[in-house]
Order: sequence, then structure tokens, then C-alpha cells
Amino acid sequence: MFKKHIIFQILYIIVGPLCPASLKRFVFYKVPPQLQGSYLSMEDYHKPDQQTVQALRNIANRLRINSIKATTAVGNGHPTSCCSVAEIMSVLFFHTMKYRPDDHKNPNNDRFILSKGHAAPVLYSVWVEIGFLKESELMSMCQVDSTLEGHPTPKQQFVDVATGSLGQGLGVACGMAYTAKYFDKSSYHVYCLLGDGEMSEGAVWEAMAFASYYQLDNLLAILDINRLGQSDPAPLQHHVEKYQRRCEAFGWHAIIVDGHSVEELCKAMSQPRHQPTAIIAKTIKGKGIPVAEDKMGWHGKVLSKDMAESVMRDIQSRILNSNKRMYPASPIEDAPPVSLRNVRMPSAPNYKPGEKIATCKAYGMAVAKLGRYNERVVAMDVDTKNFTCSEIFKNEHPNRFIECYSAEQNMVSVATGCAARERNIVFASGLATFFTRAYDQLRMAAISDSNINLCGSHCGLSDGEDGPAHMGLEDMAIFRAIPTATIFYPSDAVSTEKAVELAANTKGVCYVRTTRPETAIIYNSNEDFHVGQAKVVCQSKEDQVTVIGAGMTLHEALAAAEQLKKERIHIRVIDPFTIKPLDAKTIIDHVRSTRGRVITVEDHYYEGGLGEAVCSAIVNEPGFTFQRLAVAHVPRSGKMSDLFKIYGIDRDSIAQLVRKMLSSSANAK
Amino acid sequence: MEFYHKPDEKTLQALKDIANKLRIHSIKETCASNSGHPTSCCSAAELMSVLFFHTMRYKANDPRNPSNDRFILSKGHAAPILYAAWAEAGFIKESELLNLRKIDSDLEGHPTPKLAFVDVATGSLGQGLGAACGMAYTGKYFDKASYRVYCMMGDGECSEGSVWEAMAFASYYKLDNLVAILDVNRLGQSEAAPLQHNMDTYKERCKAFGFNTYVVDGHDVEELCKALWHAEQTKGKPTAIVAKTFKGKGLKGIEDQDNWHGKPMPKDRAEELINDLLSQIQSPNKPLHPQLPNEDVALADLTPIRLLTAPEYKIGDKMSTRKAYGVALKKMGDASPRVVAMDGDTKNSTFSDIFKKAHPDRFIECFIAEQNMVSVAIGCATRDRTVSFASAFAAFFARAYDHIRMAAISQSNVNLVGSHCGVSIGEDGPSQMALEDLAMFRAIPTCTVFYPSDGVSTERAVELAANTKGICFIRTSRPDTAVIYDAGEKFEVGKAKVVRQSDKDQVTIIGAGVTLHEALAAHDQLAKEGVNIRVIDPFTIKPLDASTIVASARATGGKVITVEDHYKDGGLGEAVLSALGEEPGIVVHRLAVSCVPRSGKPQELLDMFGISAKSIVAAVRRTFAN
Repeated sequence: MFKKHIIFQILYIIVGPLCPASLKRFVFYKVPPQLQGSYLSMEDYHKPDQQTVQALRNIANRLRINSIKATTAVGNGHPTSCCSVAEIMSVLFFHTMKYRPDDHKNPNNDRFILSKGHAAPVLYSVWVEIGFLKESELMSMCQVDSTLEGHPTPKQQFVDVATGSLGQGLGVACGMAYTAKYFDKSSYHVYCLLGDGEMSEGAVWEAMAFASYYQLDNLLAILDINRLGQSDPAPLQHHVEKYQRRCEAFGWHAIIVDGHSVEELCKAMSQPRHQPTAIIAKTIKGKGIPVAEDKMGWHGKVLSKDMAESVMRDIQSRILNSNKRMYPASPIEDAPPVSLRNVRMPSAPNYKPGEKIATCKAYGMAVAKLGRYNERVVAMDVDTKNFTCSEIFKNEHPNRFIECYSAEQNMVSVATGCAARERNIVFASGLATFFTRAYDQLRMAAISDSNINLCGSHCGLSDGEDGPAHMGLEDMAIFRAIPTATIFYPSDAVSTEKAVELAANTKGVCYVRTTRPETAIIYNSNEDFHVGQAKVVCQSKEDQVTVIGAGMTLHEALAAAEQLKKERIHIRVIDPFTIKPLDAKTIIDHVRSTRGRVITVEDHYYEGGLGEAVCSAIVNEPGFTFQRLAVAHVPRSGKMSDLFKIYGIDRDSIAQLVRKMLSSSANAK
Repeated sequence: MEFYHKPDEKTLQALKDIANKLRIHSIKETCASNSGHPTSCCSAAELMSVLFFHTMRYKANDPRNPSNDRFILSKGHAAPILYAAWAEAGFIKESELLNLRKIDSDLEGHPTPKLAFVDVATGSLGQGLGAACGMAYTGKYFDKASYRVYCMMGDGECSEGSVWEAMAFASYYKLDNLVAILDVNRLGQSEAAPLQHNMDTYKERCKAFGFNTYVVDGHDVEELCKALWHAEQTKGKPTAIVAKTFKGKGLKGIEDQDNWHGKPMPKDRAEELINDLLSQIQSPNKPLHPQLPNEDVALADLTPIRLLTAPEYKIGDKMSTRKAYGVALKKMGDASPRVVAMDGDTKNSTFSDIFKKAHPDRFIECFIAEQNMVSVAIGCATRDRTVSFASAFAAFFARAYDHIRMAAISQSNVNLVGSHCGVSIGEDGPSQMALEDLAMFRAIPTCTVFYPSDGVSTERAVELAANTKGICFIRTSRPDTAVIYDAGEKFEVGKAKVVRQSDKDQVTIIGAGVTLHEALAAHDQLAKEGVNIRVIDPFTIKPLDASTIVASARATGGKVITVEDHYKDGGLGEAVLSALGEEPGIVVHRLAVSCVPRSGKPQELLDMFGISAKSIVAAVRRTFAN
């Protein structure tokens, strides 16, 4: 094996300079790129031949023409942001990247992420150039019946993740590059094109730190430094050396190039990589559109029809005759096959009724167990693994755990990247409340059709003495407002294990809400759980009120039931198991049999949580009386039991409300 | 140029002694509460001692004095040492320290503004520096005062992107009155921080982000005095003091060891550790007093800010509410010099650029860094120095939701304005559409949510927001819509408007923003068929005017339809359901966006997702069919 590589290398050095880059790729495709890198130095680089250079220039100009044409045709879009990246896109897609243009989801393909999603028309134009899209499709982009949207979404096969909220692409690219290097152990590379405006987003620097920490030498970021933002110049304007210094300080190799020079781009992109590499491309916004070049006031503005025509004629005249047709090089086929279907726990949960265990711990044990039977189950955390208990997974499967440090936005992006193209089943955990930090990333994950699983521990007041900064009291509200989300809120270890198993097999964004204090096991190990199916935990024929709780408050409800029993008041207690979707049928049926009386109790703010979910489910049921217990104000530090009392979600508050409800309905009679 | 004078030996020893006293307090506090982070306090002991008893200028008996230097403990879990510093300074009683984290004590697990010396709550990492930027910007450019701002950060939180947003901001605006102190104690919560004790990398990063940077031994009080003195002399650049420290410094057998994050000292070892620290204190009774500030800041003027003139719109005028926001904000700026504004490079879309043109000195461009913008807005609003309005696309406040959540804990009065809500933005597609913002802001306990539907009500919403405590969110829309209110119309928080009504109304429709106008169109269409509907504009979604809604619902036979340009969860519809609560005999139908939307023309999308006049008409008809 080694000898074969040496022979190839010698051949490469001798024959290399004589043949064009694309052919060279073909001939030497068997040399793993990382090995090529270790042999090649800058002196070995030679320019692509003039024909290739001209062909790439021509493509760049055709991309400009199509971007202008399309945005003018539909009267919407960002042509000037497309024009600054025309050469970059041409070189990437027709010279540097290796992929099968007819098989977008091929796992061996190099990945490309357009982090500056508003340049979507130039991406679409690339696929017109390749021949995958028809020009006519491009001319009807953004229309209500087109799959070419204003910003890229995975409605298009060639888009892995939606972009358009700036500064998120690089984190996703990190997840893909990490997967390539450490999970797939394959040679595909990941390319991410960023705008200069989005370099102000902290998420970019979280990703930069992550990439260098994990030595993602298969990751290339191209920074389109076109100087101008939406309403002002970007803060660093054309100070490319400042960008370089920042990238270097964050552990990247950074190369400054003229972003409109095809030769410089080819050269920079062919450099061997031993660490993540940033190509800092100095460009002109609106390049090729004389009135708009480097001018303020042209962001997101389309050209008038007349202006567009004259500009396009002008650009067309720069397209020199060249017979050379450019094809992307084929990828090395070394990504392992992966199946994520039907991932099951091989055995039932191993807990005994009455045993006490925190659901956060049960989560860690469940993911570790699932990981035993599928090697594509991976986990990550934000330096809270000893709280969320994901360290149980780490201890058992250290090679499949990614420590993301205190950078929640980036963790969610990395998770999304790892899950792209169905390479991994991802479980990312943190304190529930800190997913608020990544809410924009979660919102985008839904638009990306991403299948990621998130676990938020330490929800609610049960975090106690740490105080409100650490209490997740709005997490259900935000996850409920994600259309593709499933929210599991398990109340014991058995149901937590089932929730983890179900989450692994459920499409969309899954969120598992776990709790810090230990709680009793209430389910049998062989209990069957389904998404959208509630459990009636406590019932009798004499039940007068239905109480719905989850997590800690389910246990409070059970305690209230015991307390009330002594007063010969019987209540029915329901565990919804999933808050979204909510089992409206079970709830309505049981509330009916308790004469329409229902109480929800939740360790969450009033808005957007369990109470409102139940409210939505039972809204038009006649004769229901509905009362809610939840946290009404910003809470404070203290012992959990004290806090539950103060904020009125403890057993006594439940019992009291049940009594009140019964006495007022007696009065009504 | 002044020259640095080394403090005399007595002072240096006193500072060392105070550092050890702070350590002892921290151990005692956390032992008493049996929780907390003493090791994270110990690494910062010398830093806190030098800052509070040598460098900073403040009145220890008047922590909120506007002329005081500001201090933000970004690494909020080191709260016990902050409390200890104020005990040493004499503001809180030493005995009170032992009530840390107790249910009836204001000394919470992480600092909150229940304490007079805390301006912003911390405990969600990486947020302190942004707030410090807002304070420093205010000090330098609005107050033009000599107070300085010191922010103490941990090394773990340097992984948060918001720290680097703030770093970039501070250098861009040349905040030479700002000092960031990095307590690089190597260890995070569950393992070592990624850069460990790699001081050069921290230095390079800070320098690359435009900071005047010193790497120091964080346990050497003299080095700290010197570096902080140099920071004060540096003009045109913020300073970073990158302090190499040891977690648990001074605690034998614990210093620099793993697995001590967030753990109080074991009861059986505490005494020995304390005695060991006590033995290092040479002059236990040498008191050091902080220097007093230059009193060059006036007290904040707290008189309400009113528009100088009524809105200048006529019924039927067409304009977007986002534009009306810009006009209103400019007018508020005319009315008071305390009104300041900021944006995340979307000012030409949110129309905050109208304010910028009129009041360029009071506008802060925060570039594309929404988290930092919200932090800066919070910082600017502390101690009532300004009334701040921060605007961006509503969708991108999702980026800053942790900061907004913390703003509530901080009791901040910041005003946030989100434009481009809902599918009605059209072609730009789902990534730019805010469809979860009402859910987000409703779940903030201190928040008032305004959702104005025309130019007049937008202008009043801005005026009300400026004078309403807590967080205010104003949701504005992109499309032009007709002005429906008379310029003299009065608006109040929590007061809905009945926009259309008759004696024969059969259904109540509640809409807001573009959907209110769709409801009005539906009203007109149905009126032609002889069907009358009542149309309600809630004006504020939180608080919601339950009594008007219930009364209308009753008057229309209990039939209610809500229609919103938002997802079904957590928005207007659920707010209405919550408000109707126990009311019997009311049937509510909700029209809302039920899945991830797409690009298209605004009107087409309103139709496609079932929230247009057409959908309302159909829903009204369905109500009768049932």
C-alpha cells in the first residue's frame, strides 16, 4: 500500500506539471488528498492552463449573467452579493470540489454550504451551468410554485442545510467535517462560503475555535470580503489583513487572495492543508455591474430590465470563445455505508418500580445504551456533560462524543452538520435554558428538515439554588413553536429510555426535557410508549378532577392524589409523555369522565408550555372547567421544595386547587 | 504622560490580605449554603481585591451612583466573591454572607439586580462583556463622563461567540474606558477549557480583535495594579487583562485540580483551609478604601417622554408599520435626548435609519451581531442612563433569546423592535420570516408585547414602550397597510380596540398587523352578503385585553376566530385561549401558520397558509355550517 503511494507520488512529480489539473485529479485520484498534501509544497503548484483559466472566467461571467437575469425577472434578490462570488463559485464547483453532479446526496461528494444564503441565485446558476436545473426554472425562482426559494432550502437536493440566517453555515460545516474526519474517516472535504457581514456573528467564531481545536484540515472556509453590508460597510471594510489576523489567532491557516482572480483562487484552494484553511478573498460587491460596483445602496436591489440587459451584454462580451467544457472531478468513494433506520434498544429498561433516579441520569444511560447497538449514534455537549449525564455516553463511547465547550449555538450547528445526509443519529445536550442561546439555529434546523435530537436538563425551578439564570422556564414555549419538533417530557427513567429510543427514530427536531432531582420509577419496564400517547397514571371510578403534570409536577400530582385520597377526594393523573404532539384524545376522554374538570401543573412559565398546549387541545369542548398552575414570575434562588411552594406548583397547591374547583362547582349547583 | 508608581509595600500587602479574606468569605458562604463555586472565586481573589480596593472609583455606600465605575461579573457563578467584596467594602454585613442562596436572601446563586451593586444579572455565560460595552459606550459617547467599566470573565465563557461579538464592537468603537479581565484558570465545568493555560493564544485573539492586551500573573497584586494602571492610560483602544490564574488558588490539594467545579469545600476540610489562609494574612485590620469617583454625571431624568406632536397620518394613508416605527422613534428622539437607538445592519429595512439621520450621535450600528446588540441595549439602559430601542428583523431576535431571557432577570427596561414578521414578507423565504417571536416574547415574564396594525398605533406603541417598565417588544410588518385610526386616538397597554362592530355581529375576529387588515377585508366582503362580523385589534398581545375580548365573544354568540401571521403555538391564538380561560360556551377557531412556509408573493402566501381574508371568510362560513 505504502509503496503504491510512493510510486504515484513520483509519477505525480514528474508528470504532474505536464497535465491539466482536472486530468491530474483523475490520474491521481487514488492518492488520498491528505497524502498528496504532505508531499506537495507550494513550488509544486502550477497554474491551470490558460484554456482552463479562461473557461473558469467564462463560467463566472455566466453565473453573473444568470444571477442578474433571474433577480431582474422575479424582481427580487441580491444580485450584487452574487457578483462578488462569481469567480469563487466557478473555481469551487468546476475546479476544486469533487462530486457527482448527478447524485447530490452521494456520501462521498465534497460538501458545499452557502453560508451567505442571500447569494442563492448564484448557487442556482451553478446548477444551471452544470445542467441540473433549467434556465427557465431559475427565471421563476422565489415564486410560490418554485422549489428555488429566496434563500437555499433542502427542497433542492443540492442543499444540505437551509441558510439565510447569517453566521450559521460554518458551524454546520464543522459538523460535516468532523463527521468526515472522525466518524466516516473518509476523504471528502467541506467547503463553506461566508460573507464579510456575517463575520460579526459570534457563532462564526465559535465555529472557528471548534474547527482548529479539532484540527479539521478537511474544512475550507472562503470569506467573501466584498466590503459592503446591508446598510453600511462591514466594520472591517477591505482590511483583509485584519481578517487574516483574526483567523490565524483562532488557529486557522489564512490566505489572502484577489477573489476575482481565477488563478489566485485555484492556487490557494490547491494548497495542502494541515489545519482548517480560510481563503480571505478580497472582492467587489456588484463586480461586473458598473453602476453598483463597490457602491452603497445596492444591497438586495435588483437591476431594472434595461439596465440588466445592457450589463448582461457587457458581461457577455467578456466571455471569450473557449471550447473547453469543465466537469467536476469525481470523488473518492471511501465513505462507509450507513443505516440509521429502525434503531432499537435491544432490551427493555432495567429499572424497578419505586427505584429513585433522575431523568437526566436516565437520559445519559439510555443514549449510552443506544450507542452500544448502533455505531452511528453520536453525542455532544457544552461542557455540562456531568450535569446532563451525557458523560455516561462519553465514558462508554469516547470516540463518538464531541465536547463543544460553552458554545451552544455552535453545538446545535455541529449537531445539524453531523446529522446531514443521514450520516449520524445525533444527541446534543445542555442545560434546558441554554438552548435559548441557539434558538435561531433551532429555527433554521426546522427549515433544514434536520433530524437532530436535543436534551435539555435542569429544567424549571427544580434547579433550585443556582437561581433563575440556570432555570429552563421557557424551553417548552420555544420548542413548541418549532413546526417540526417533537417534545418528550418523560417523568421517570423508564419513559426517559423510551423517549430516547423514540427520538432516535423520529424525524424532525426532537427535544427531551429532563430534570435534576431523583424521582421514583412509575412505569413497568415493558410499558409501551408512543409519540403522542399519554399515560393515565392514577385513576379510579370516583375521580372528580383530572390533573395533568409532567416531570417533577407529575410526581407532585401523584403526591397530591395521595393526600386528597385521605379526604376521599379522588383525582385522575395524566402523564402526557409528549407535549408536542399532545394526546388530545386521551386528555379529552378522561377530562369528560371527571365532569370536565381539569388542572395542568407545570414547572415552566404560563406562556407556551403544557398549560397552553392542553388549552389548545381542549378549547372547544363544551362544559370543561380548566385551571392552570405554572410559574408566573421570574423566580429566585432557594431550595426546590420552597420554590415549588412559593410559585404554587407543589402538591399542596394542587390539592388546594382541586378542593377549590370542587367547592365552586358544588356552589354552582 | 504620567508614570506608573508602584503601590507601597503596605498597600500591596493589604491587597494580598483582602484577597485571602475574600477567599475565606467565599468558602464560608458556600459551606453555609452547601452549594456554589468556591474554586471559581479563589482564582479571582487577587483580581477582585485590586479592582475593588485599588483601581475602581466608586462610592461604597451608594453602589448605583451614576458616577461610579461599573463592574460586571460576567462569570456569574463566582457570585460569592462579589458579595464578599461588597462586604469588605462595607455595603453588606459580613453575617449576611452566610445567607447565600437562601430563599429569603437577595444573595442569589448568581448575581441579580435585587442587589444595588448589580446592574445586570449574570449566570448565563458570555453575556457580561456585551452589557459592559453598552455601559462603556454610554459613558464615553452619551454621558461623556469619566467613569470606567470593568468586566470580569471566565476562560470557559470565551468559547461563547457573543464574547467575540462584544470584543469586535469594543474595538470598533474605541471604548478605551472598558477593561475586560479574563480569569484564565484553565478548568471548565466538566473538563479543562479548550485553550487551557495557553496564554499566547488568548493574547493573540484579543489583539486580533483590537484590544490593548496584557498577559499577567493573576495572583500577583502588583502586576495587576500596574496593568490596570496602564489600561487607564491607553487611549483609543479597550484593554484586555489576560490573567493566568489557578482554579481553587490557595486551597491546598484542590488548587488546579479537576472535579472541583461548583463544589463547596467538604465540611471537615473547610476549617483547615480557612486557617491556612488566615495564617497568610499579615495585617487583618488594615482597611483599604476605594477611591471616590469624579462626580461628572447628572442623575438620570426620569420624567416620562411624550411625543411632542400627535401622529401625522390620515385614515386611509398607506404605509408599513416598520416605517411608522422609524418615524415614531425619530419623534421620540426629538422629544428627549435620552432616547437612543441601535440596529444590526438592517436599519434600512427596520427604518431605524430615520432616527439615525435625525440623531446620528444617538444611533449605534451594532452590525450583524444580534446577541451583542441586545446586550449593548441592556447596558445602555442600566441605571436609567438612556431609553434604548434596538431593532432588527423579528426572526433574528431568536438569536438573542438567551440575552432577552436574562434581560428579564436583570429587570431591564430595554425596548426591542422586530420587523419583517410572518409570511407576509414574501419572497425572501422562511429563514427571514419571524413566526415564533410572539411565543418567545410572551414567555418572558416582564415583557409587554405590542403588535400595532397601522401608523398611528405604531407611533403610540413606541411612545408607550419608552415609558413602560420591563422589556417591550414591538412587532412590525413589511407590507404597506392603510391607516385605520384617527391621529387623536388614545392607546393604552392592555387595551384592545374594537375596529368594526354592529348590533348584529355574529362572529368576533381577532387579528393583528397584516391579519387585522385581512379581517377588515373579510368584514367588507361578508357585509355585502349581509353577514356582520366584529373585528378586534388587541394592540398588545401581552398583556391581552381579556375583558374586551370576552365581552365581544359574548356579544357574538360565543363565536371567536383568531388569525395570526405566526405559528399556531404560543402566539395570538393561544394568548386568546388563555384569556378566555374558564369562560363557558365560547368556541374559538384559530387560523395560523401550521408548517414551515416558503418563498412566494405575500398575498399568495397569506392564502396558502390560510390567514388571508379568503380564509377568514371561509372560516366564518364554517362557523355557521356547524
